[in-house]
Parts: sequence; C-alpha cells; structure tokens
Amino acid sequence: MGKKIVDFLWGSTQRKIWTSLIVILMLASLVTKLVLPVPPPHVALSGEPIFSTGPQWFTNSVLTTIIVDIILLLLALLTRFGLKEVPSGLQNVMEAVVEALYGLAESVAGKNAAKFFPWVATIFLFVIVSNWSGLIPGVGSIGFYHPTEAHSEEAPAGESHGALLDGQLAMVGGSIILAAPENAQHAPVAAESEHGKFVPLFRAPSADLNVTFALAIATMVMVQIWGVRHLGGAYFRKFFNWSGPNAFMKGINAFVGILELISEFARIIAFGFRLFGNIFAGEIVLATMAFLFAFLLPIPFYALEVFVGFVQALVFMMLALVFFQMSTISHGSHDEHH
Amino acid sequence: MDALGIEWTLLLAQIVNFAILIVLLRMFLYQPVLNMLNARKERIAQSMKDAERVSAAAREAEQDKAKVLEQARREAQEIRAQATRDAEKIAQDVRGRAEQEATDIRMKSQADAAKQVELALADANKQIADLAILATEKLLGRELANKAEQQRFVAEFLAEPGSKGK
Repeated sequence: MGKKIVDFLWGSTQRKIWTSLIVILMLASLVTKLVLPVPPPHVALSGEPIFSTGPQWFTNSVLTTIIVDIILLLLALLTRFGLKEVPSGLQNVMEAVVEALYGLAESVAGKNAAKFFPWVATIFLFVIVSNWSGLIPGVGSIGFYHPTEAHSEEAPAGESHGALLDGQLAMVGGSIILAAPENAQHAPVAAESEHGKFVPLFRAPSADLNVTFALAIATMVMVQIWGVRHLGGAYFRKFFNWSGPNAFMKGINAFVGILELISEFARIIAFGFRLFGNIFAGEIVLATMAFLFAFLLPIPFYALEVFVGFVQALVFMMLALVFFQMSTISHGSHDEHH
Repeated sequence: MDALGIEWTLLLAQIVNFAILIVLLRMFLYQPVLNMLNARKERIAQSMKDAERVSAAAREAEQDKAKVLEQARREAQEIRAQATRDAEKIAQDVRGRAEQEATDIRMKSQADAAKQVELALADANKQIADLAILATEKLLGRELANKAEQQRFVAEFLAEPGSKGK
C-alpha cells in the first residue's frame, strides 16, 4: 500500500515533476497566505463606474459588454470573409456552432425556426461569451482604487450595505493585486480609508443585472411581438379571457388570465435573476476559493464555472425559444416553464 | 433598484446593444453560414445524385456489354454451325459427284470394254469366217462362186448352235 502510493507520486520522472509542482504550489499558497496576506475578495452587487470622476454610465460591465461585442463581431467577420466552400479552421467551428444552434431551434420551433433563430442564437452566443469572460484571469482582479470620499458621494445608497459588501478587494487572482497593503486582511476598513475603494476594470456582463434584465426584457417583449404576429389580436385573449359556460368558469378564466399576465412579468424576473445569480455566485465562489487557498483549489471550481456558464447560456436560449414558440400557439392548455 | 445596480439608462443601452448585436450577427454570421451550409448540403446531394446516375449508367453499360457479348457469341455459334452444315453439304456434294463420276467412268469403261470385246469378237468372227472359208476353199478346192452366197453360208455356219457367237 505504502509502496503503491510512493510509486504513484514518485514513480517516474514525469510523476516527480508533477508531484513537486503540486507541493510547491501548495507551499506557495500557504506562504502567500501567511507572509503576504491576501485581502478578502471584493464583492460588489452591481457594476461600478471605472473612473470616479468620469461618466457614471461607463461601468466596468459596460466596458466588458463592449469587449464581448467586439469578440463576437470579430468572430463573425472573420468567418464571413473567410467563408469557403471547403471549410477549415474557424469556419468549421462556427459552422458547427451555428448548425447545432439551428438544429436546436428547429427541434423546438419547427417551421418557425428561421424566424426565431437570430434571436436565440444571439442570446446564446452573447450570454456564453459574457459568462466565460468572467473567468479570464484579470477580469475582476485588475482595477483601480477610487478615493473613498468620491465613492461615498457616488453611491450613498450603497453605503448601508457597504460595510458588508463593498470596500474589499482581490478576486480570483488574488495574488495579482498583492500590492494591496499587508494589513489589509486585518483591517480592511483601514485599507479602504488608506487606498480608497477598489473598482475592477472588467466585470462579466452577465454578472450585472442591467445586462441580464435587458436580455430578459428584450426576450419577453419579443414573445409578445411573435404572439401578435402569429395570432393577431387573439393573442391577448390569453390574458383577458372571461368566456365560459357559466359565471363560475368565467371567473376562473378571468383569474387564469390575470395569472398569465403576472407570469409574463415573473418570467422577466426569473430570466434576469437566474443568469445573474448563477454567474455572480460563481464569481464569488472562485474569489472565495482563491482567497482561501490561492493555488490548485480554484481549479475544480473553474471547471464547474465553465460548465455553469455553458448551461446558463443554453438555458436562457432554450427558455426564450420555448416562450417564443408557445406564444405562436393559440390558447389552449398552458404549462409553466419555470 | 439602486441597491441592485439597475439603472434605466444602462438597461436601455444594453437592450440597444443586444438589438445591434442581433442585426450584425445576423448579417455577418448566421445568414452567410446558413447559406453556405445549405449550398453545401445541396451540392453534396447533387453530387450524390450524380454519382448515383453515373453508377446506374455504368451498370447499364455493363448490361449492354453482356447483352452484346451474348449476341455476338450466339451469332458466332450460328455462323459456325452454318459453316459446318455448309461444309458437310459441300463434302456430300463433292462425294456424290465423285461417286457419280466414278460410276459414269466405270459404266463408260465397261461399255467401251464391251464394245471392244464385241468388235474384237466380230473381227475375230470375220477372220475366223475368212479363215474358215479359206480353209473350206482349200478344202473344197474351189471357191464359192457366189460371193454373197458364200458369206451367207458362213453366217449360217457361225449362227449354228454350238458355234461361238455373241
């Protein structure tokens, strides 16, 4: 048994290299923690303006949204202008992605797939790139220190929970901002007063409620538009329906209509918070793990977050697709998709 | 709303951003790629159809070839059979004619021989008759006065039973 373990860890040259590397990283984590204390992770619920004196709307998530747009458009343009009958490289990947998404759209929406496809495919691509953008080292960890005074002026409403949420630093690559003061861990508040509030330069767009709610609202508005386009005015009978054989059924139908109306709004909220919650929570998990033990420990969580990012993009897309499709079907039996 | 960081301007900006992204991606990614995929699908279907047709043509050509070969073989056989038959007939003809000729020659030669024998016999008879007359003349010492009488007499003699005749 003991020999087996020794063999496993120290059997070959390769094994020796890996084992030493792992041990060194673990020791480095400990040393980092003891000698160069990492401040607890910076947690902010919303995107923050990058420049304390600059425009308020220019938050870190807006910047990252623009970067995500640029990435997507670059991919699209590279694919578009390198399009060949015999595909290779990038074109293969993009064709596979587009075809898979189109297949999915077709499996749900059938003949409506061509109409819904640009919407759901854009949702998927934008959301997945946004989700994964938060996993790039440096996103959330590279940033500026804003003077505290400016901060308190900027967001007085945030101050109430600021003691809990704001004013701390270091996300995933906690070691990257080891420039943080040594006493930061012991006295984060002091650090804040000394250096001001830390504001990361980048923030995953899907970890900003503005983005997720924008997608949710756009989706649900489109659901109404598809519904009207397919069913005309009859679409609204779903919400305002007081037909029935007797007064009791009329009442029931009217009540169901009200529920339908509420559920449309509930869907917006569910859409918005589902994506935001998953991605934001994932970032906090990664930051916390990095804070606890800088090396190795975050790796499995990274894998998990890559998966979560994909799944959330898929979920958002599939739900949008299903809602689009449902809106085109005339009123019958409805089942909730939450 | 403020606590959650939701701002209407940012929300609106993100919606506009999303809409622009849809338009641009549709223009530069979805439509070209889907068109390309469809074009390729059609092309593959077309080339498969072509291949099908070519192989069908090849199969047909193979069948034609077999048919032609079969036909040629049958004709050759027929020709051979015909030739054999003709040859046999010719041989038979030749043989028949040869036989005929042989028979003719034989008959003719027989006839010739018979005639010669007859002539020889007649000649012999005449000589014998002459000799006999001569002998008789000598014997009788006189010559039959009447030449005709003499000849008749010899003929009678020769025609008598027991004498040698034809």
